[in-house]
Amino acid sequence: MTEDQAAADDGRAAGVPPAAPPADQAPVRVRMPIKLPETAALLGVLVVLIAFFSLTSPFFLRFDNIVNILQNVAVIGIIACPATLLLISGQFDLSVGSAAGFVGMLMAVAAADPETTRVPFALGLPIWGAVIVALLGAAFVGLINAFAVTVVGINALITTLGTLAIFRGLTKVLGDGQTIRIQGFGELGVVRPLLDIPLPVYLFALVVILFWFIQRYTIYGRSMYAIGASPVAARLAGIRTKRAIFIGFMLSAGLVALAGLIRLSQVGGASVNTGIGFELAVVTAVVLGGASLAGGRGTILGTIIAVFIVGVLGNGLIQLRVPSFWIEVAGGLLLLGAVAFDQLRIRLAPAN
Amino acid sequence: MAAVEAGTAFALQARGIRKSFGGVEVLHGVDLDADGGSVVALLGENGAGKSTLVKIIAGDYTADSGTVVVDGVEHHALDPRLARDLGVAIIMQEFQDAPTLTVAENISLGRLPGRVGLVDWAAVRQRARHILGQLEVDINPDVRVASLRVGERQIVEIARALSGEARLLILDEPTAALSHHEAEILFHFIRRLRRQGVAIVYITHRLDEVSEIADRVQVLRDGSTALLAKVTEVTRRDMIQAMIGRRMAEVARPPAPEHDIGAQPALRWIDASLTRVFESVSLDVKPGEVVALYGKLGSGAVEVAETAYGLRRLTAGRLEMDSEVVAIGSPVSAIARGVGFLPADRKAGGAFMVRSVGENVAVASWPVLARMGMIRDEVEATAYRRWRDRLSIRARNSSKQLMATLSGGNQQKVLLARWLERQSRALVLIEPTRGVDVGARGDIYAALRRLAATGMAMLVVTSDYEEAVQIADRAYVMAKGQIVAELRGDAITTTQLLEAAGG
Repeated sequence: MTEDQAAADDGRAAGVPPAAPPADQAPVRVRMPIKLPETAALLGVLVVLIAFFSLTSPFFLRFDNIVNILQNVAVIGIIACPATLLLISGQFDLSVGSAAGFVGMLMAVAAADPETTRVPFALGLPIWGAVIVALLGAAFVGLINAFAVTVVGINALITTLGTLAIFRGLTKVLGDGQTIRIQGFGELGVVRPLLDIPLPVYLFALVVILFWFIQRYTIYGRSMYAIGASPVAARLAGIRTKRAIFIGFMLSAGLVALAGLIRLSQVGGASVNTGIGFELAVVTAVVLGGASLAGGRGTILGTIIAVFIVGVLGNGLIQLRVPSFWIEVAGGLLLLGAVAFDQLRIRLAPAN
Repeated sequence: MAAVEAGTAFALQARGIRKSFGGVEVLHGVDLDADGGSVVALLGENGAGKSTLVKIIAGDYTADSGTVVVDGVEHHALDPRLARDLGVAIIMQEFQDAPTLTVAENISLGRLPGRVGLVDWAAVRQRARHILGQLEVDINPDVRVASLRVGERQIVEIARALSGEARLLILDEPTAALSHHEAEILFHFIRRLRRQGVAIVYITHRLDEVSEIADRVQVLRDGSTALLAKVTEVTRRDMIQAMIGRRMAEVARPPAPEHDIGAQPALRWIDASLTRVFESVSLDVKPGEVVALYGKLGSGAVEVAETAYGLRRLTAGRLEMDSEVVAIGSPVSAIARGVGFLPADRKAGGAFMVRSVGENVAVASWPVLARMGMIRDEVEATAYRRWRDRLSIRARNSSKQLMATLSGGNQQKVLLARWLERQSRALVLIEPTRGVDVGARGDIYAALRRLAATGMAMLVVTSDYEEAVQIADRAYVMAKGQIVAELRGDAITTTQLLEAAGG
């Protein structure tokens, strides 16, 4: 007893063995972040894929084909950056594909001449005016998703599954089911400012740097990790969680608009089918890239490599003349594989 | 009901029950008798072995040795099915119901009557009406359980237990979440069941319930029986003494603070109320002071503290910080006022397990640490190192290691560091050492005392009276939504706290 009181005297709690050296490093299965080896593994997969397709297809490594891959990767990659940020915070945006189609169609219709086309909503605006209409449309997309998820409190998967249908439907309404051509909007998607590589690839690089910076260094980016790691703890630590997620959906809509306009410019017109399947490619890339469905983890670098894997795989399979139906099957399998790997990762992670 | 029709007087004797978990023996050969028509109150502190003992009788755990004799038949190993066939029904602390299903479905849960795979809904409802009628309660069998009040849910659980062939009903702290009135209704049932010949084992640590409901009292302490007597033959003090034993004296007080205690309270509640949760609560915490708010689950203590952090809003009365009336609507505004908060559920509400310790320390201070909106890793690393040694956080030097790799006690120290880094002037801690091992617990107490010495105001909400004794300069006791006592200095003893809280 006296020992205990002595212990109490130096400010320690009594009833506590004075020298209690419990095994203080918890005996959990300690695994450090698998970032580096994981990214390396992804890179390895990419190299193997490239090697494989180079050997099996004579066309794969041709400059035209590489540019082709880059064009597609740029569009998906630009969307995948904010999607990574969202998934890190535990949120999804499945509406990216139809929103990209919607924004593109909005611009095409706004620019279409009501005299010469038979589109009901044609406005005949100049290109800059049509771009503004498209950006307003993007703001609308972002606000709907963000409002439903953060203010109404609907699960993000369900919200964006709903808006996926809404935006696709609106695209068809706007275009009256047709493909709407656009004139004089080749700059964004087609121009090759440097090294004979199209502008979207450079834009993609800029977006990557921007999002890498956001996630790595800004309070906002760090908050998204914290929210994904534990929404309750984030709120209790003084993070405005709803506001952060709201901004995340707005960012997603903004970058989706950029991707949608690039695609519009590349194709020279908006089809009611533009953007179908983007969500699959984006979610596959983000999860494959190491962002956890459980939230709190993920890197832009991983996502980017994974976007290339998805792009190279799709292109390579086409080069090998695999029927497109089977390529679709492969896309689904890749997503399931990525998610299964993530589940494995969650299970092996230190118990919490 | 089934219990009545069982006829013969039920008799169960558990003899010499031993049980170890992970090499630590938690029951050292305990006996327990339960007879039809009588109520045994099983008392003891957390970890005394009460729940383990009854789970062995209910077949949830298998005893390492010992026997259970039911109606003269000896059983060495029970499983849940056999126990149920013998008439043993147990109601756990946590609800084991399916809240999205109806009352009737819950009563027949797992035993839905039916033919050729189709549910006989008429029979389900009939069974529910019958049993609820027997219990003389007015609960609609067709409503969802989730829509019931807690006390009603408890009754549905009892109804389910009794709709089998229950001859022994074990209740594990059934009143923990009940209001006073609901507890009264429960006692009424228990008396009825006793008259009908059901044997009842009633686990509690509320002493006032013992004399109200039980015929016999058995106190467990550290896995052995410390007291076994008729309720009429023991006093309240005997029971407390038996529960805490020698350790009553072992729980030592911290030395009286040598530093000055501020005159103006950092946190002060004045006649504060939150409808149906607490009423007219007045308490204050001064800079440099560690104040314990001791109360059991449902006492309202946690909720009072949460109003200081914007998690709940007062419906009457006021909250002052530094003598200024404040309206704290969110954690953000509480933090801006210099209040830090450590929630009870460290894993869900405090720590970011998959993030680094550096981030865990810095998160609340990001707006302060940022340069032009940017956070650099070095800043977080510095923040972490600043507190690692001062709080004796036992972890590697790297601020990059994952929070999940630290032990519970060290995680708690990291969370403490979070608010120190934020330069909080008042800290609200809910159950700060729950799930923390003994050594780290001492560290945390020491850290809290040291922090108080620097002029921080500390409000520790706890349901562990020993914690209150070991840490507080002043302690308030809450029960049933009201402050029932205020104790100072060496008047804070386990006995005082327990008596004030109503056992």
